[in-house]
Amino acid sequence: MTDTSQLERGYRRVLACYPKAFRRASEDEILAVLMATAGEGQQRVGLAESADLILGALRMHLGMSRSPRAVLNAVRLMCLGAVLELAVLVTVLVTLDSVRSAAIRDFTATQWHTAVVTQIVPAVAGTPIIAGLWLWLAWANGRGYDWARPAFMALFSLVTIAVLFGLGEGSALYAPADLIAKGVVWLVGLAAMVLIFSKAASPYYQQEPAQQ
Amino acid sequence: MQEATFLILTALADSTQHGYGIITEVQEISGGRVRLRAGTLYTALDRLRADGLIEVDREEIVEGRLRRYYRLTPEGTGRLAAEAARLHANARAALTRLKPLGVVT
Repeated sequence: MTDTSQLERGYRRVLACYPKAFRRASEDEILAVLMATAGEGQQRVGLAESADLILGALRMHLGMSRSPRAVLNAVRLMCLGAVLELAVLVTVLVTLDSVRSAAIRDFTATQWHTAVVTQIVPAVAGTPIIAGLWLWLAWANGRGYDWARPAFMALFSLVTIAVLFGLGEGSALYAPADLIAKGVVWLVGLAAMVLIFSKAASPYYQQEPAQQ
Repeated sequence: MQEATFLILTALADSTQHGYGIITEVQEISGGRVRLRAGTLYTALDRLRADGLIEVDREEIVEGRLRRYYRLTPEGTGRLAAEAARLHANARAALTRLKPLGVVT
């Protein structure tokens, strides 16, 4: 087996990350470019090349190469939202002791236990799922599915309710860091909402999926 | 407009180019400073096609490998011309203000 075929198989393995439609239309073309730009005697796909191709594949899966600028920025914000949700989780875990210290003045041991079981545990367990929802809706909005906007609106409503519920439960007093982190997530969600419902974005969601 | 996009459109301004041709042209235009990788190039080409700034001119098979040639659309030519004029005006303004300082000739 020649070195060239080994390299070509390596490139094809990385190109398998791209959406099927792109591979059908352009795999042979991009492969020709990759082989032409490969170094003399190169046998394996380089790390930087792999990273570049995987990032390109990710952008195409998220529709970032074809969506209008407004949707593109909204998708970026949704990805950021997913990361920030995980940051909120870290904030909640890191500040748990200080929250307990602040709450211990007003809460009995039983009340604190109830608060942990009914609020903190579900919040910690649910955060990865919520982060996953941000990413899933980033993908769906990037692809321009017509259901993606109302679905994101539902997620944003959920985030809003969580912030308001936290305020109602006294998080401004007991857990200000958590509230600030959630507030940042809420602002990112609001910005994404404004973008996907903007005039510039609307026509993208009205196209047939095949056109996107 | 991002620099890579500007350089890709510039590479296609006076002739059709295939993917590898665009990479070498961009490298030459930028004086070797910008070396596009295939993943970056095809993401940009996909976007430029979706925006109607470039289109496929023709396809050829060379040594058993597919070459797809791209060309600017009239909209792409107009967008490139507008961006070039904007950059030119900015550069001229900067040079005019730097001239009294003697850092440029």
